[in-house]
This record gives sequence, structure tokens and C-alpha cells, in this order.
Amino acid sequence: MILVHVDSDELSGQAVGFARTLGHVRAVTFAGAYQPAAWAKALAAQEAEAIVAAGSDRGNELLAHVGAILDQPFAANVISLDGDRVTRVRWGGSLLEEAGLHGAPKLLTVAPYTQPAAEIGDVETLDAPDDGSPKVLETVEESSGGVSLRDAKVVVSGGRGVGSAEGFAIIEELAGLLGGAVGCSRVVTSAGWRPHADQVGQTGTKISADLYVACGISGATQHIAGAKGAKKILAINTDPEAPIFASADYAVIGDLHEVVPAISAELRKVRG
Amino acid sequence: MLLCGGIFARRALFLTRIVAGARPSDRPGALPERVVAEAEIVLGQKKLLQRFVPGLMHAFIFWGFIVLFPTIVLAAIDVAGGHVATPEWYRALSDVFAVLVLVGVATAVVIRKVVRPARFAGSHLGEADLILGLIALVVITLLFWHHVGGVGFAWAHLVVIGVFLAYLPHSKHLHIATAAVNVWMARTRRRGRLEPLRFDVPDDELRFGVATIADLTRKEVVDAFSCTECGRCQDACPAYATGKVLSPKLLIMGVRDQLFAQSAEPIVGSGVPEEMIWDCVTCGACVEACPVSIEHIDHIVDLRRSRLMVDASFPTEAEPMLRDVERASNPWGKPQTERAAWAAELGVRVLEPGDPAPEYLYWVGCAASFDERAKKSAESTAKLLQKAGIDFAILGPREGCTGDPARRMGNEYVFQAAAEQNVATLNDQGVTKIVASCPHCFNTLANEYGDFGGSYEVLHHTELLAELVESGRLKPSSSASSITYHDSCYLARHNDVRVQPRKLLNVIGQPVEMKRSGKQTFCCGAGGAHMWMEERGSQINVERAREAAETGAETLAVACPFCTVMLDDGVREVGAELRVADVATLLAESLR
Repeated sequence: MILVHVDSDELSGQAVGFARTLGHVRAVTFAGAYQPAAWAKALAAQEAEAIVAAGSDRGNELLAHVGAILDQPFAANVISLDGDRVTRVRWGGSLLEEAGLHGAPKLLTVAPYTQPAAEIGDVETLDAPDDGSPKVLETVEESSGGVSLRDAKVVVSGGRGVGSAEGFAIIEELAGLLGGAVGCSRVVTSAGWRPHADQVGQTGTKISADLYVACGISGATQHIAGAKGAKKILAINTDPEAPIFASADYAVIGDLHEVVPAISAELRKVRG
Repeated sequence: MLLCGGIFARRALFLTRIVAGARPSDRPGALPERVVAEAEIVLGQKKLLQRFVPGLMHAFIFWGFIVLFPTIVLAAIDVAGGHVATPEWYRALSDVFAVLVLVGVATAVVIRKVVRPARFAGSHLGEADLILGLIALVVITLLFWHHVGGVGFAWAHLVVIGVFLAYLPHSKHLHIATAAVNVWMARTRRRGRLEPLRFDVPDDELRFGVATIADLTRKEVVDAFSCTECGRCQDACPAYATGKVLSPKLLIMGVRDQLFAQSAEPIVGSGVPEEMIWDCVTCGACVEACPVSIEHIDHIVDLRRSRLMVDASFPTEAEPMLRDVERASNPWGKPQTERAAWAAELGVRVLEPGDPAPEYLYWVGCAASFDERAKKSAESTAKLLQKAGIDFAILGPREGCTGDPARRMGNEYVFQAAAEQNVATLNDQGVTKIVASCPHCFNTLANEYGDFGGSYEVLHHTELLAELVESGRLKPSSSASSITYHDSCYLARHNDVRVQPRKLLNVIGQPVEMKRSGKQTFCCGAGGAHMWMEERGSQINVERAREAAETGAETLAVACPFCTVMLDDGVREVGAELRVADVATLLAESLR
């Protein structure tokens, strides 16, 4: 019997589909707040040939706990299992690894979007007593405006031209007015003006906004690589030679310290 | 004496077994070069003498020991009651060298106790004191034996040597026995080449870099045994100089400690902190500085390979670059169809499959193809080649990343896939001569593609342009503008291209040298895939830009697209009035 932990996400259907190719499936879930150590204890107490979950952050965490409790090996992000041989995805999909999985029960999670989704069918709710281990109490959205950089429709970004951490006040103001997120270039995070989470670029976040406002950003290739997902780019820079203008749809050659507050003031005026 | 010999032999056997058990190094032939290296680096003390006073100090002691070696036999004969008439000239010679050794020891004491250079930070200082004391005693007993006489001093001389011998292989002064071997094994040709991993071998021979000491190659083991903790590498290291965790010296010491302890633990995490291996820009300053030819980059790349390919643990910000090199054939994920966009206006020929090969294939590289600032170098180079009437063409969308950043990051899979693809394209096209803009591409094409079936004559654009100016096919005009030239590590150090860019700048402007130039150049901070990693602490490019600004030059000339981008950023950071431009761009401007 294959024990499958089912969560509320769409990946669980894929995990169930995979598990049915291995044997008879018993799908289980838990009520209440996510508490991985306690849930894992309940899973580990069940009789099963294998314990399977989706290769999500939660699924992997849960099975890692089960592995620790049972002292058995755990294979994450598996795409096939043949006897003791597993093939699994490493490295965000660029590498497939073949390995032996010799534990009992076999513990594995299923790599997301590698299996067709199946009807989950009956799900049994298991009881997991609160053992005082860490659990989720509440969920708080990250980033001040409540908009994540990756998903924001508008991103207002500052570069070296902003000049200081305090200088970002006008950038934040404009982002707030547009209901967008604040971003920045690598120079800014290197200088410690903003956290790395705000960085747009090849080594930061790749955005997909409708509008990207680049203020005082020269436009290094590594930055453009993160901004190219934006539908329109508006660049504000004093240097007409700045590489950012090669990628921009709209260009303002001027000092952001004048231009950005002027845009904010105009927005306020229009909105009354 | 027997006890001392026994202790020495036991340790020597232990160490020899470690070396013999290590994986073979892939260092082919090149006998004449190896003999020359022994003569220059070991006998001539060339690397040590780069720092004159400490170099001379060491040379006195080293040459002294070579000259004084026969005195051991002579003293032994004396002790055994035999009689040998030491020739007068040899007595005099050995006296002179004995005194030179004492001068050397005294200088060393002054350096260590008074000057206290920063390069000794983290070294075992007590061990050095003990060794210096023993060396002094060896020659003092000799001088007494020569000038006061009596078998007692001969005995003393031999006992001190015995103790020295027993202690030697247990200390960092093991280098006395291993340095010459290490110099012999070091790279002589294709110095910028990394040894490829073989993936087509039986499972039990498969090796993904170095996880534990069991994975080390023979050269890497002898490297570790040869380190004297002199700290010249640490002094030259741009990462160390800007406050990173990496010290090439402490890295090699970490590997050595694991070897001596015969530890089965992974080296990264126990002997060497994780940050150390990722801080490296593979600039090679450490390798260049090392008096005993330790090749630090091999250790770092091998450790990275294992962390990345086996443990999937590496600075995550570099992941998009690795994915893009693999999927998009360039590290920024740009569409390959746009690769030749810069060349369209200039009418540069783009090679189609089946076209006849041009005299030179111009290998543009990803940065000069896609980066707005670096593109100028490609445009200038193409214009110059057109003006000189050179028959050249580019591969356009079929040129892919050479794989250099992936390889130096430790991802040998992605590198080898890129290498095989590019070699296939180049060979199908019948390419024999390549001119490359990017020193990293240049190094990979010239030194590494040979391992994947691609052998070409490869020039950097500064080399070809210098040739064209010398032969009169390009006629630049001179200006009064002062120019300082930043040597790219992958040109100046890994490939010995230092003269040609300077020849060009001598013709078109007034060159001024920075404090650190030529082989002693200071990195821009982008090598070893650091273009795609975050930098902690103070920045290497800013430090270098400051140094360039100090020369008072109007222009900072570069010959590498990564140096262009990094130093342009650095110059803005320090707010200097300094124009950063590629040598090719400056040359093109001088023709107008």
C-alpha cells in the first residue's frame, strides 16, 4: 500500500497519479494549521510500502521529517521509480540523477509537473496531536506594499543615481501611488541601500510588470536580463549614453530627483 | 642518529603512500620546459626573488644548504675516526656560505619579529622560529668545527642535522623535500587550461571534482605538502585584499590538514569554509606568486565541482546564468537571433552552414554581442578588420557561450555540452584561425577546446591589431592623451598577452602604468563566474578603479568586455573623471 499525503495544491493530484503506478493508494490529509514535525510523526506511524508527497516546499519538508523520524533515506523530486532505482530531477530541471533508494518504507516526493494529474478520490483525514513543535500561526504578505516584485504590475526601480538609502523615499512614494513594488539595481544592494530581495536582475528577481520605471539605472546587461520581462520600460537618467536607453520604450533624460517627484505630484493632481 | 633517521623514514613512508594513492594528474610531457622551470624557479629562486629582500634571504639559506651538503659526509667521517683532508678552497667556500646562511637567518628573524608583514596572518609562526633556530645551529656548529676543531663539534653538527631531519617532514618545512617535485609537475604549456572531467568512464572511476581527500589528484596532494605558509598568494589575492573569507594560503593549509589527519570528512565545511571556494575570481595571482608552483585554482574549481554537481550547493544567484548558458547559449538568456544585431549595419559576413571558411573567424563572445557597453569593442574591431582588408566572418546566431563561466563555477556538464556544440560548429565550418574579443573566450578556445577535438590558431584582437599596425595595414595617429592600461587576468597572466596591447597604446597615446600591472595585475572582479555572483564586503572593481584614477590618466584602456563593464561601474562608484574604453575602440578613433 502506498501512503500519499494530499495537500490543497494542484501538485497533490500529480503525486496521487504517480503513486497509483506503484500500487494501491491510500490518500491522507490533516486538518488544522501546518505543523510538519507533528504531521510527519502521524505519517511515520502508518504501515506502508512507500510514503509519497508532492515535490512542493511543504511536501519535501514533511517527507524530510518522516525520513528523520524513521531514519530512512528520502528521495525528493522523483520522476520514476523502478524497483530500487529512482530517477530524480536536480537543479531546477537541468539535471536528471539516477540513484538507488533502499529504504523501507520508500520515502519520496514527486517532481512537480512531470506527471499527469489524477483524480484524487477518497481522502482520509489523519489525526496529528499538537506536540508543541513549530506550526504556522498566521500568514503575512512579504514586502511593504503587499505586492511582490515578481508579480507586480508596476515596478519602480532605483539605481546608483538615487544616491543613498534615504533617496529611495521618492521611489517608494511613486511606487505607492502606482500600486507597484520598489526594485533596485545590483549597485544598490551592494551598497547596502536596499535588501537583496529588492534587486531586479540576472542575480536577483526577474520581473514581469506591465510598466518598469528605471530611475538612475545605467542598465547593465545583468540588470536588463531581469527587467526584460516588463511590457514597457520607462528610463530616467541624466546620461544620454546610458545603455538602459537601448532597451527603454520611453526615455526621460534628466535628474530623477526632479523628474520622479514631478511625476508623483502630477499623479496626485490628476487624482485630486 | 638512528632514532632520527627512523622518525624521518616512518613519516616519509606515510607521506609517500598518500601521494602514491592519489589520483593521477593529467600533465603531459613538456620535458624541456620542466627542466627550465627547475632551473629558474628552484635553483634560480626566480619567484622568491620577485620580493628582493625576503627572496635573497631565502636564496642565501637555500644555496648555502646546497653548498654545505658535503660537510655532513665530512663530519660523519671525522666522527667515525677517519681522516679526510678537506680541500682549502671548499673550506673557504663553505665558510662563506655558512656566514651567508646566518645572514639569511638573521634577516628572516628581522622580517618575522620586526617587520611582521601581513602575509603571515594565519601561518604557524612558532614552527618557523624553531626551524630558523635549527638552521642557525647547523651552521654555527659547522663554523665551530671548522675553526675551533675537535670531534665534539662534528658530533654536535650531526646531531642538530639529525633533529632537523626528524622534525622536517612533520612541519611546514616539508617543502624542502617536495617543492622541486611540485615545480616539476606544474603546468608549463596552456596554463589557463583546466583539466577536464571524464564522464565516459566506468562508474567507479567517475569523479565529480573533489569532495574528500580521496578525490585529490597527485599534483593537488603535492601542492598541499609544498606550502610553506609564506603568504605571497594571500598578499596577491584580490578577494583577500577586499575582505573576503578566501585566503589561498589558508585554503591550501586546510587541504593539507585534512591530508595529515587522513580525514574522511568533506573538505568543504571541515578543512575549508564554504565561502572560501566561492570567493575566488580565478585570476591566478596566487598561482603566479607562489614560489613552489602551487596551483590553487585547480583546488578551488575541483571543490566547486563537487559542491555544485554532487551536493547542488552553490550561490543561488548564479543559477539563472547556468540555466541560460545551457538553454539560451548565452549567460543572460537573450535570444540568439539577436546575437549578430550589432553587425548588421556594418555589413559583417555571417557564416551560413556550407559557406567557405574565412581567413579569420571573429569570435565575438556573449558580452560584446549583447552588452551595450561591450558592443562598442566588437563594432570597433570589425571596422578595423574591414579597414585593414582582412577576410573575416562571424558565426552570428550559431556562436554559443564557450561555457567558461559555467566551467569556472564548477558545472563541468554544461561546459562540456557547450564545448562540444561549438567545436562541432567550428569544425564543420572548416575554421582554422580565430580572433577573439573576450579573453575568457580566447582562453577557452585556445587552451581548452583542444581537449574536445577543436584545435585552432587563436589570437586575441589586440594581438591581431598590433600585427596590422606593425605591418602598416592600419595607420593610427598619435595623441597627447594619457592612457593607463588594465591587464585582464586571462590575457596577461593566464596567456602572457601583455606586450601587444601596450604596443598599440604606445602608438596612439601616452601610456602610464598602474602600480599593479602586467603579470602582477589586479583583477576587475568578474572572473570565475563572479560576473553573475553577488560580492560581499568591499568591491574589487572599485579598488581597481581607484588605482587607475590615481595614475591621473584620462583614459582607462581595457581589453576584455567584463573588465569594461566592471571598471566602468567602478569608475562611477569612485566618481573619477576617467573614460573606460577598449583598446580596439581607442585605436579605431585614432584612425579618424
